[in-house]
Amino acid sequence: MTTQAAGTRDLEYAVGQLTRVEGEGRLHLRVDAGGAVEAQLQIFEAPRYFEQLVVGRTPDEVLDIVARICGICPVAYQMSGVHAFESLAGVEIDPGVRTLRRLLYCGEWIESHALHIFLLHAPDFLGYPSALEMAADHRALVERGLRLKKLGNRVVAIVGGRPIHPVSVRVGGFYRAPTVAAISGIREELRAALPEAVETVALVAGLDTPVADRDTRLVCLRHPDEYPMSDGRIVSSDGIDLAPGDWREAFHEVQVPWSHALQARTADGVPYLLGPTARVVLAADQLHPVARAALDATGVGLEELRRNVFRSIVSRAVELVHAIAEAVDILDAYERPERAWVDAQPRAGVAAWATEAPRGLLFHRYELDEAGIVRAAQIVPPTSQNQAAIERDLEQFAPGVVDLPHAEATHRLEQLIRSYDPCISCATHFLDLTIERDR
Amino acid sequence: MVIAAGNVFLPRERLDALFDLLHEGGRTIIGPTVRDGMLVLDRLERVEDLPIGWRDEQAPGRYRLVQGATQRAFDVVNGQMSWKQFTFPPKQQVGTMRRDASGSVAFAAVPPDPPRLAFLGVRACELAALGIQDRVLAGGTFVDEDYRARRESALVVAVQCTRAGDACFCASMGTGPEVRGGHDLVMTELDAGFVVSAGSPAGERLLARLPGRIAAPAEEAEAAAEVAAVRAAQGDPVVIEGLRDRLMDQLDSPRWAEVAERCLACANCTMVCPTCFCTSTAITSDLDGHVNVAERQWDSCFNAGFAKVAGGNFRPERSDRYRQWLTHKFATWVDQFGTYGCVGCARCITWCPVGIDVREELAAIAPPAAPPEQMLTRPAAATPGRFEVVTLRASRRETADTTSLFLQPTEPALLAGLPGQFVMVEQPGFPSLPISVSRYGTDELVLTVRAAGPATTALIAEPPGAQIGLRGPLGRQWPVDRALGRNVLIVTGGIGLAPLRPVLDAIVASRDRFGDVLLAYGARTPSDRLFTDELETWPQHGIEVAQIVDRAEPGWEGRVGVVTQLLDRRDFGRRPTVAFVCGPERMMQATVTTLRDRGVAPERLFVSMERHMQCGIGLCGHCQLGPYFVCRDGPVFSVGELGELFGKEGL
Amino acid sequence: MTATTVAAPRVGVVKMASCDGCQLTLLDLEDELLAIGERFELVDFPEATSRRSEGPYDVLLVEGSISTPEQAEQIEALRERSTLLVTIGACATAGGIQAMRNWGNEPEWRAVVYPQPEYIESLAQARPVSDYVKVDAELRGCPIDPGQLLELLTALRLGRRPQLPDEAVCLECKRLGRVCVLVAGGAPCMGPLTVTGCGALCPGFARGCYACFGPRERANVTSLAGWFAADLGRSGPEVDRLFAGFTGWSEPFRERARRAVSRFGTGDADGSVRGEPGTDEEAGA
Repeated sequence: MTTQAAGTRDLEYAVGQLTRVEGEGRLHLRVDAGGAVEAQLQIFEAPRYFEQLVVGRTPDEVLDIVARICGICPVAYQMSGVHAFESLAGVEIDPGVRTLRRLLYCGEWIESHALHIFLLHAPDFLGYPSALEMAADHRALVERGLRLKKLGNRVVAIVGGRPIHPVSVRVGGFYRAPTVAAISGIREELRAALPEAVETVALVAGLDTPVADRDTRLVCLRHPDEYPMSDGRIVSSDGIDLAPGDWREAFHEVQVPWSHALQARTADGVPYLLGPTARVVLAADQLHPVARAALDATGVGLEELRRNVFRSIVSRAVELVHAIAEAVDILDAYERPERAWVDAQPRAGVAAWATEAPRGLLFHRYELDEAGIVRAAQIVPPTSQNQAAIERDLEQFAPGVVDLPHAEATHRLEQLIRSYDPCISCATHFLDLTIERDR
Repeated sequence: MVIAAGNVFLPRERLDALFDLLHEGGRTIIGPTVRDGMLVLDRLERVEDLPIGWRDEQAPGRYRLVQGATQRAFDVVNGQMSWKQFTFPPKQQVGTMRRDASGSVAFAAVPPDPPRLAFLGVRACELAALGIQDRVLAGGTFVDEDYRARRESALVVAVQCTRAGDACFCASMGTGPEVRGGHDLVMTELDAGFVVSAGSPAGERLLARLPGRIAAPAEEAEAAAEVAAVRAAQGDPVVIEGLRDRLMDQLDSPRWAEVAERCLACANCTMVCPTCFCTSTAITSDLDGHVNVAERQWDSCFNAGFAKVAGGNFRPERSDRYRQWLTHKFATWVDQFGTYGCVGCARCITWCPVGIDVREELAAIAPPAAPPEQMLTRPAAATPGRFEVVTLRASRRETADTTSLFLQPTEPALLAGLPGQFVMVEQPGFPSLPISVSRYGTDELVLTVRAAGPATTALIAEPPGAQIGLRGPLGRQWPVDRALGRNVLIVTGGIGLAPLRPVLDAIVASRDRFGDVLLAYGARTPSDRLFTDELETWPQHGIEVAQIVDRAEPGWEGRVGVVTQLLDRRDFGRRPTVAFVCGPERMMQATVTTLRDRGVAPERLFVSMERHMQCGIGLCGHCQLGPYFVCRDGPVFSVGELGELFGKEGL
Repeated sequence: MTATTVAAPRVGVVKMASCDGCQLTLLDLEDELLAIGERFELVDFPEATSRRSEGPYDVLLVEGSISTPEQAEQIEALRERSTLLVTIGACATAGGIQAMRNWGNEPEWRAVVYPQPEYIESLAQARPVSDYVKVDAELRGCPIDPGQLLELLTALRLGRRPQLPDEAVCLECKRLGRVCVLVAGGAPCMGPLTVTGCGALCPGFARGCYACFGPRERANVTSLAGWFAADLGRSGPEVDRLFAGFTGWSEPFRERARRAVSRFGTGDADGSVRGEPGTDEEAGA
C-alpha cells in the first residue's frame, strides 16, 4: 500500500502485521523525496504491566509470574530472575544445581532455535509462506526441525515439568531435581541428533542469502570458563565490561511514540546487537568443539556473521549444535544433586542480574523490602534492546527494496526483521523505575 | 489371632532369606519404602529398602514420617496409597476399537497379563479391603478378569500391627489389628525378629524353607501382647451396632450441609480408600478416528460429572456427594455386598486436605440410638452391697481440706480403669461415696478427696493400714483416644484437676501422639491448688500449664481472675482441638461458651457432670439428666451429646 | 460416511494480550503437526504463516485476554466470522495474570510503567473473551495442555464432544501415586480446588499447585483457605496471594485475589478497594 501523505511529498510505506514472529507488530516506513527512509517498528502488542504485577510478591512467586512474559523463552525469565534473587540473598547453590540449570537453559535454546530456524525463518529462504506449506516439498527438513525442537522441549520438560512455563525453578535451586532414571532416555536421543544439528549448520550456511553489510556493536555475557549463558560479565565488541547486575551503568531505556515497547540504548546512543551472532562472535573460543568445527566447516567467518544480519540463521544453527552437545555432556556426567535447593533468607536491597535468553541478554532488576517482598521491578528483554538496531538496519536496507512490488518488498523487509528473531510478546512490558512505591 | 504353636521365629538379621524366597521365579517384591522423604509402596530389592527406623504420625489432614526410637522395619502403619494400586490399577487400558477407511470395525479387549508380585507388609485392614474388593469385583455375576488375575498371581505376606495408627479404627470395623485370613504368610515384628506363620498351602511351603526355629512361647506371647495393645489403644470410636439403619434414617440430617461447608469434594478420600472401586473410561483417538483406545481410570462420586446426565446432575451439591459416599461406605454397601465398605484404615481422615474425620461425622450424623456401652473395663463388684476390700497404704495432704489416699487393691480390675472413671467408696456405717480416681499406678489406686461432709471427713482421717471397700471403676471415661494427633485443652478448677490427672498421665506416657497440650487451671487461692509439684514438672513433658487464682496470697506472682481468662487471645480453631473440662457447672458453662466462640466443635468438647449418685450403676435413679443416668452414661459427656441439657437449670 | 471424508475445517489462530505460549502449544505437537496441517486448513495463524485470511473460520482458536479498545472491537468481528470460537489458555478463559491489574488504577500503572503514558492505548481491565462474545468451548491452563489441544482437534474432526475433565488435580495426583504435598509436606496446594489437565505437574515437583487451570465448579475457597491459615499457619496475605495467580479473576477466586492485590500498594484509586480489611497482617510492610 502506497499513500500520498497530505501536504507533503513524502511517501508512507506500511506493511501489515508481521508474521512468523512471536507477538504482534508492524512496520512503518517513511520515505522522503530524497529516498531516505525512516523506519518505525511498531509494536502494538497489548501492554501487560508485568513490572507492576510482580510488586507485592515474594521472589518465588515472581519466578512463576515472569515466565508468563514469554511462552517461547520462559526459562530465560526464570533464570535472570532466580540469579538476581540469589545474588542479593547471598545464596551458594549446589554445583549440581548450577549444571542442571544450564541443562534447562540448553533445552530452551534448542527448542527456540529449532523453532526459529526450521519453522519461522527457513520458509523465507526457500520461498514459502509457512513451514506447513514448505513441508509439501521439503518434508524431511521440516520433520528434522520438529524432531530437534521436540528434543529441546523434552529437556525442558524433564528438568522443569513442561516446555512452556516450567514449574521447577525456585530461589536456592529446584523444587525437585530429576532422577538419573528420568534423564536416561533423552541422553541417547540427543547424542543421536547431534549429527543432524551439525548438518543443519552446513545447510543454512548454503542457503541463498541476501547481502547486507554494516558495522554493529555486539553485546553479550562473557564467562572465563564457559559459553555465555547465565553467568559472567556483560561485555561488548568495543570495550564495555560490567558485572551482570550493573546493566544500567551503560544502558538505558527510552520510549518512542510508535511502540508499546521501550527501546534500550547505550549511553552514547549507538544501537547494539544481542543474540546468537553476538555470542558466537564474542565467545567463539568457548563454543563446544563440535559446534566450532561445524561453523569452521562452512567457511562463513566471524566477521561475515557480524556484518551480514541475514547470516544470523547460521549463528543460530551453530548454537543449536552447541546446546545439544553441551546437554549431552551434562547428561553424561549427571548425578542427582544431594540437595535440590538450599534455603534463602529474605533480604532487603536490589537484586539484579542478566542472562542470555535465546534472543540475547535479558536484564532483571528488583527492589526488595526487609520481608523479601518485591517493591519495584525493571525487566529489559533482548528484543527491546535490538529494536533500535532493527530500525537502523531497515533504514539502510529499505531504499533498495521499497520500489519493488509490494509483496516482494514486504517479504524482503520481513525477512530482515525475522533475522533478529524478534520476540514481541517479550518486548511489551517495561518499567522505568523512577517512582518509589512506598506505602 | 493366627499365632499358634509351631510358628517360626525369623531372626531380624535373616529377613533377607524371606526376600530371597519371595524373589524366586522372578517375582517382584512390592512393599513400603521411603522415596524423597515420602512413604510409598514400590519395588523392594533388598531388606534395606524397607522403612527401617521410620514411623508415621497421623492426624486429620496431616501425615509426617519421622525417625522412630526402634530399628523396626514395619513401624510405619500405612502410607497414602493402598495395595489397590497393584490389584486394581489407577489407569488401565481396557481395549482398542478400530475403524478402517471402508467403515468396518473391530474391537479387541486387553487380556489379563498380571505381573508376578509378592506383597510384603499387608496389614489386617488391607487384607480385609482386598477381601471386600474380591466380593465387589470378582464375587458377583460379572467378574473383572484383570482384577481376578492380579489377585490370583500375587503372594501376600501380611504383617500384624504392633503400633497403632493415630486415627486407625480397625478394631471398631472388626477388620484388625489381628490378621484373620487372606494371607499366605503373616509376620509379627518383635525387636529381635519376626514370629511367622502360614495361612495358605503356598505359605506353608515358604514357611518350611525359612531359616529360623520354632518360636518360643514367650515370643508368641509377646507378639500377641503387642497386637492386643494396638487394639486397646484404638478404643471403639465407631459404634457399628445398627449403623446401617441409623445412617439411612438420617438422610435429611442438617449435618450433611454442615460437613459440606468443610468438604472440598476433591475426591481424595475415595482415591486413598482401599475399597472404592468406581471408574470411568475415556477414549483416545487418532486424528482420523481409525484407532481408538479405551482407558479406564479411577473415578469418584465426588466429581461434578459423576452423576451427570444430559438433563442435569443428580448430585449437584457437595452435601449430596458427601452423603452418597458416607451412606455407601457404611450403609448401602452392606445391602449390596454384605459387608461395610470401610475397613478402618483411616486414610480418608489423614489424607483429607481439610481434616474431615469420618469417625466424628458418623457420631454426629448417626449417633448410637442409646448412649454406647462405654464401660470398657469389667468393674469389680458392681452390685451394691458387694465390694472389694482395699488397704490404705498412705495419705498425703494436698491442701487444707483435700487429701490423696493411696490404696492397694487385690483385685486387678480396679487398676484397669480409665481416666475419668470413678469408684464407689464404702465405709462401714457411711453412705457410699462416688470418688474419681486421680491416678492409676501399677499396683495402687489414688483417690483425691475433699472434706465436704462427715463421710469424706472420716475417709481422709483413716490411718495407714485401714481397710475400706471399693466398687468400680464405673462410668464413662474421658475419650483420650479422640485426642490422638490433636491439640488437647484441659480446663479445670480446684478439685476438678483430680479426675483429669489420669488424662495428663496418659498424655505424658505417649506425648508425641498428641498435638499441643494446654492445662488451664484455676483455684480460689494459690494454696488451694492440687498437685503443685506436678504443676511444676508437667511443662518438662511438653504440657503448657497456665494458672490463675481468684485471690492472690503473699508470694503469688501469677495471674488473678477466672479460668476463662486463661483462654483469651488463643485461637483453638487452628488445628482440631479436643477439650476436657471439669469444675463447677457455672465454670464449665463459661468455659464452653468461650471455647465454642473460639472454634472448638461441640462434639470435641467434653465435660464431667456432677449429679447425686448413689448406686453408681444406673439403677437407683438419683442422677438422671434428661435421657441419661450420669453415673452410667456419664459422668463424661460431649457438649454435643448434652445439647440443651447442658447449662439448663432445674434438670 | 467415515470421518476422513469430512472437508478440512478452516482454522484460525489469533491472539489478544498474552505470551504466545498457548498457540505455541499447537507447534509443540511435533509428532502430529504435519498430520494436523493435512487435515485442517490453517487459514490464519500469524505466528506460523505469512498467509493471512480474514475468515470465515469453521473454528477460531483465541489466545489472550481482551485488554485494549482495539481488541474489544476485533473480538466481536472475529466472532461474527467464526462458526465455533474456542478460547485457549488462562488469559482467554480467565483474564490471565494481567487481570490482576483489574483492581489497580490502570492509568496510574501505565504512568509508572511508561515514561510517556499518552502513547499507550489500554483498557482499564484485562478480561476473558467470554465477557465480550459467546464462547463455544474452552481449554484451560497456563499454558494449555498439548494433549487437551489434540483431543479438542480430534473431537472437532470426529464430531464428538471433547473429553476435558472437570475434576480436581488431586485425582490425577493420586492416580499417579504422588504423595500429597499438602497433607504430608505442609505445602499450601491449590490442587483440591483446581481443575486437572496438567497431569498434576507441580505436586510431581514437590510443590503446591498454583491453580493455573483455574477453579473447579463450586470450589470451596472458604474451607481450603481457612485450613491454610489455621492448620498450616500461613498468613492472611500469603493465602490471599495464592488465589491472585493466573486464574485469580475467575470466580470464586476473585474476592481473595482482590484482597491480595489491594495490599500491593497500587490499587486504591478504585473505590471498591479502599478501606480493605486485613491490611493489619500486611506481609511486606
